[in-house]
Amino acid sequence: MRGRKLSDGQFAWLLMVPGLALFLAIIAYPLVSALVTGFFEQSLVRPGRSFVGLANFADLLGGDFWPVLRNTLVFTLGATIAPFLIGYALALALNAGLPGWLRGLFLFPWVIPGVVVSFLWLWIFNANYGVLNGLLGTHISWLGEPTTAMIAVIVTKTWASFPWMMVMLLAGLQTMPKELHEAASVDGAGAIRRFRSVTVPHMRAIAGIAFLLEFIWNFQHFDTIYVLTGGGPAGATKTFAVAVYDTAFKGFDLGHATALGGLWMLLLLVLMAFYLRKENA
Amino acid sequence: MTATLTRTVPLASAPRRRRPRSRVAAWIAVAVIGVFGLAPIYWLVVTAFTPDDKAFSFPPALFPTEITFDHFTKLAENEQLFGYLVNSVIVSVVTAFLSVLVSAYMAYAFSKFRYRGRKSLMHLILASQLFPQAVLLITLYAVFSATGLLGSYAALILSFTTFTLPLCVWMLKGIFDTVPSTLMEAAAIDGASRWRTLHQIALPLAAPGLVAAGLFAFVRAWNDFIFALTLTDPARQTLPPGLVHTYLGEFQTAWPDLMAASFVVSLPVIAAFMFLQRYLVGGLTAGAVKG
Repeated sequence: MRGRKLSDGQFAWLLMVPGLALFLAIIAYPLVSALVTGFFEQSLVRPGRSFVGLANFADLLGGDFWPVLRNTLVFTLGATIAPFLIGYALALALNAGLPGWLRGLFLFPWVIPGVVVSFLWLWIFNANYGVLNGLLGTHISWLGEPTTAMIAVIVTKTWASFPWMMVMLLAGLQTMPKELHEAASVDGAGAIRRFRSVTVPHMRAIAGIAFLLEFIWNFQHFDTIYVLTGGGPAGATKTFAVAVYDTAFKGFDLGHATALGGLWMLLLLVLMAFYLRKENA
Repeated sequence: MTATLTRTVPLASAPRRRRPRSRVAAWIAVAVIGVFGLAPIYWLVVTAFTPDDKAFSFPPALFPTEITFDHFTKLAENEQLFGYLVNSVIVSVVTAFLSVLVSAYMAYAFSKFRYRGRKSLMHLILASQLFPQAVLLITLYAVFSATGLLGSYAALILSFTTFTLPLCVWMLKGIFDTVPSTLMEAAAIDGASRWRTLHQIALPLAAPGLVAAGLFAFVRAWNDFIFALTLTDPARQTLPPGLVHTYLGEFQTAWPDLMAASFVVSLPVIAAFMFLQRYLVGGLTAGAVKG
């Protein structure tokens, strides 16, 4: 066949042509083009654009950027730390010789679609008929107050994410040699001591990657926040994803939307650099 | 002799005494997290089968006294929702096939050949699934609207491929890594071309992995919200934005109907994951299964 005349390297590149073409067309080009748009004044509904230099960035850094950054950080930290702790506790419990079907059972919250998760918690948090208010005997508008709204979106995302943490951390625990624990307990180490001196060091790598990945995902999370609060009330849950979306598709202001997106990606890039280094380590 | 005897006694009994205690602690942890993790699912199912007048009462009854299938029959008669379902199936299935087809060749090149630029490209593709969808969306919208694709199935399929392609490439690279290179060398010695080795040796061996990657891609496409919300017209909308528009825009949300719809929308995904249990960890570490 014709392929035999090619070198291995050329053959490999040939195999990659369809994938690369697609990658360049729908990922690389749109991304670069979006970043460039940040330097222009451009509208979604009117044609044409004009170069404005750093004006969009200056606008954002002079105001809107900071509350959005704050909201994103609060959401991301909360929705990463909580599932990490719950997932870790669950992984440790399941690793202590409990039946394997429990793992499958706990996967349900993570498996069901994101919008379904949002609908479900909207219903649970409902002010008039919600089961949470029913249990507490109150009529609190959970999604209507800035503080409770942020807690509500964090709880919702935590519920959807902890199973993934459990799976990742359980996989890590299962690669831990049993002899290590046995040796430590023969030496008289109690459960807490063994966790600190044996389990934690062994789990450091996988726990780090799981935490960082979840952090990166939450940093750009959109679905639950958009459906639950739409960024409200009064912008209290407006994270980068919601702010960029709203600026572009409700405010039709592509310049500011992509400039905000550029700043957002700069922060993500730092996180990604960490991730790639860990993945390589 | 007595000394060794007394020393062996606590050694032998210690693990036996400890095991039940740690297991009790484990069961307590599972029970507590189980309430948080599973009670909402219980509530989804209960609400989906509760008659409207019971669902809209306060405080809600935690245990159903009356069961109805009304919400499901209403769902089955809703032609608009059926349209969303058809769109979801078409778009997700095509996305899965396209992603696996394109990624398999790319992943094979990554896994079985060594050439300049390979490492950097792999990293670029891994990193690309961490780029925010909301930013990509802005330009994709402009591109699709300039090319007249906006609102078409193609727009959705191409936009979904932005996250399924990196996912599938990384999963399949992992799968091809497990296919021993010696098999391919043997085929080459027998005179098979590289093209033939790929199609007749490597791909069949990787078949279960191809299915798994396809299912992951299907699930991601099925679940996508932000692209489907923005790049479609109402006639081409998939279920996630379709349900939002159908139920959440109203003055009083029909919660039992929405829970019944949620139940139905979740079923294909749950079925897919039952097949995927075995690939779960590999698929997860391969990257963003769910973002």
